[in-house]
Amino acid sequence: MSASGEAPPARARARAARSPDRRSRRHLALMLTPYLVGLVGLVLVPALVTLGLSVTHYDLLRPPTWAGLDNFAALLEDPIFRVALLNSVVFALVAVPLRVLLALGLALLLHRRARGVGTARTAALLPTAVPEIAYGLLWLWLFNPLYGPINQLLRAGGEHGLTALGRTPPQWLTDPTSARAGIILMSLFTMGETFVVLLAARRALPRDVYEMAAIEDATGWDVFRRITLPLMAPVLALLAVRDAVASLHFTFVPAFVVTDGGPPPYATTYLSLFVYQTGFEYLRYGYAAAATLVMMLLTVAAVLVQWRLIRRYRRFFQV
Amino acid sequence: MTDGLVLDGVSAAYRDTAVLHEVDLSVSRGELLVVLGPSGAGKSTVLRVVAGLEPVTAGRVRIADRDVTDERPGRRNVSMVFQSYALFPHLTVVENIAFGLEVRDTPRRLARERARAAAETVGCAGLLDRRPGQLSGGERQRVALARALVREPDVFLLDEPLSNLDLALRAEMRAELRALHDRIGATMVHVTHDQTEALVLADRIAVLRDGRVEQVGTPDEIWRAPASTFVARFVGSPAMNLLPADGPLRPRDDAPTLGEEPLEIGFRPEAVALDATEGTPATVDRVEVIGEDAFAYLSLAAGHQVVARVPAARRPERGAAVRLDVRWADAHLFHAATGRRYQP
Repeated sequence: MSASGEAPPARARARAARSPDRRSRRHLALMLTPYLVGLVGLVLVPALVTLGLSVTHYDLLRPPTWAGLDNFAALLEDPIFRVALLNSVVFALVAVPLRVLLALGLALLLHRRARGVGTARTAALLPTAVPEIAYGLLWLWLFNPLYGPINQLLRAGGEHGLTALGRTPPQWLTDPTSARAGIILMSLFTMGETFVVLLAARRALPRDVYEMAAIEDATGWDVFRRITLPLMAPVLALLAVRDAVASLHFTFVPAFVVTDGGPPPYATTYLSLFVYQTGFEYLRYGYAAAATLVMMLLTVAAVLVQWRLIRRYRRFFQV
Repeated sequence: MTDGLVLDGVSAAYRDTAVLHEVDLSVSRGELLVVLGPSGAGKSTVLRVVAGLEPVTAGRVRIADRDVTDERPGRRNVSMVFQSYALFPHLTVVENIAFGLEVRDTPRRLARERARAAAETVGCAGLLDRRPGQLSGGERQRVALARALVREPDVFLLDEPLSNLDLALRAEMRAELRALHDRIGATMVHVTHDQTEALVLADRIAVLRDGRVEQVGTPDEIWRAPASTFVARFVGSPAMNLLPADGPLRPRDDAPTLGEEPLEIGFRPEAVALDATEGTPATVDRVEVIGEDAFAYLSLAAGHQVVARVPAARRPERGAAVRLDVRWADAHLFHAATGRRYQP
């Protein structure tokens, strides 16, 4: 029959049409596998274990016992946790905008070709490349109230160990407010990555738009406010979200190495350090897991808030 | 007539390479000057020097009888339409047009009103609330024009504003641009590499070559009395034929008195007659038919090439032997050594 004669080529055609699709899907799956394995093994499983641990009492020695919501209730009552939470929030609210602003300022200053710009860019980037522990130890020396360079500089021109204005230089590591400021100061110099992204973003902006503004005699402030800032807003928003999420982590090493959570009363104990100490020093794994969950929720909340803000200024994204 | 714009011996350089060499140009108030030249001739640099975006290495720039050589761009009172239009992507059309007024502290309401009026003038009043990303090429071009119009500048600078448009739209915008110029009577400098655009638009044309002004003249002068072989061949398509004056082709009618020095004889494709009974013998290499016209590419003795424009209906066959003829009235003479026009 003629129909049977036509059937095989038709089937072959159908197979030929389907197979590249199936093959590309196989390729996709193959390429995704390493990432998925990492995601499951390093993020999802630990997150589930944390969730599980958070409703238990567990000290590594005895098997975990059921605790229900006891850990969370205890967290609410725990003054140290409340201080750590407040410290983390204040740090994020102050340090994240400052870091982004500093990076933006440097990027706008250094995006042109000029003598010394290359060196300046490297200098801006370098602190980010120093290993975290070494960076912490370096600041321990910088902050030293007696022989540290920062206070020596502040004392320049003053008498009797006072600053030129006759004030006592900050006791960086022993005064609570100064210690918090010190941790923020430390975090400002590691904005190299943000700086590089903003530098690239600024250099990608079209030159003729700026020439147009020059012909229209726009002032530097007008150019920044009406052109540069709105055109860079999407990148700035993205970096702020990323920094806010990361801020819960990059308080850990400075607080661990430089201040060890002090000076009293827990001036630089941030959530990350609180979790570390509760878990690995006091062996209260269930309690630490509950605090970790709170930290995670905080991250999600921060992202949601910023997401809403970004959506409100969405018109900048339709560039 | 007062001067709208004067370039007096202006030189400019990019890094260490000289781009303009002592360019002298003057544009009368209300005149439309087209700067024509191939890419790399320094056309855009002329505009950028006038706008103050590029410094001069020598010479002076005067706008409306005012020396602006040392003024910053914003103080020169010029408007520019960029080849890329340079619209602000995050601003609406009306905000784009009003930008120049608002940064000069015109009250917002007044600025918006004038922006609307300017949009009206160039026919983009219906687009005021859109963003550049939502506009077609022709619409963006109109917005860029409206933005240039909204302030009343002493000079309009247009940097190949039509080059990003398709052919039909380009012809339409060309006519509109000319009409706009006639209506507002502004001083304009328009840069292009398109000779048709130059011939249609210009009050006068300045032909630029390697950073030097080759010739300045009305479109008629540029067409009928090109000052050099470069101008002769750059304006006109296909380009003017050039042959040695003592070569195989001798034009008909009374010859002018020719000097001793070697000359070149130039004639446009449309000046060639192919149906002559006596004339220079040639062979047809190939024939291109474009609608009613046909261009016949001919080989003469000693390897000389000539293009002839003939009516498509009477075009010769490929390989045919023809006799071609040119009248002295249609011929141009140039010095063979310098390429400058020869005056008998």
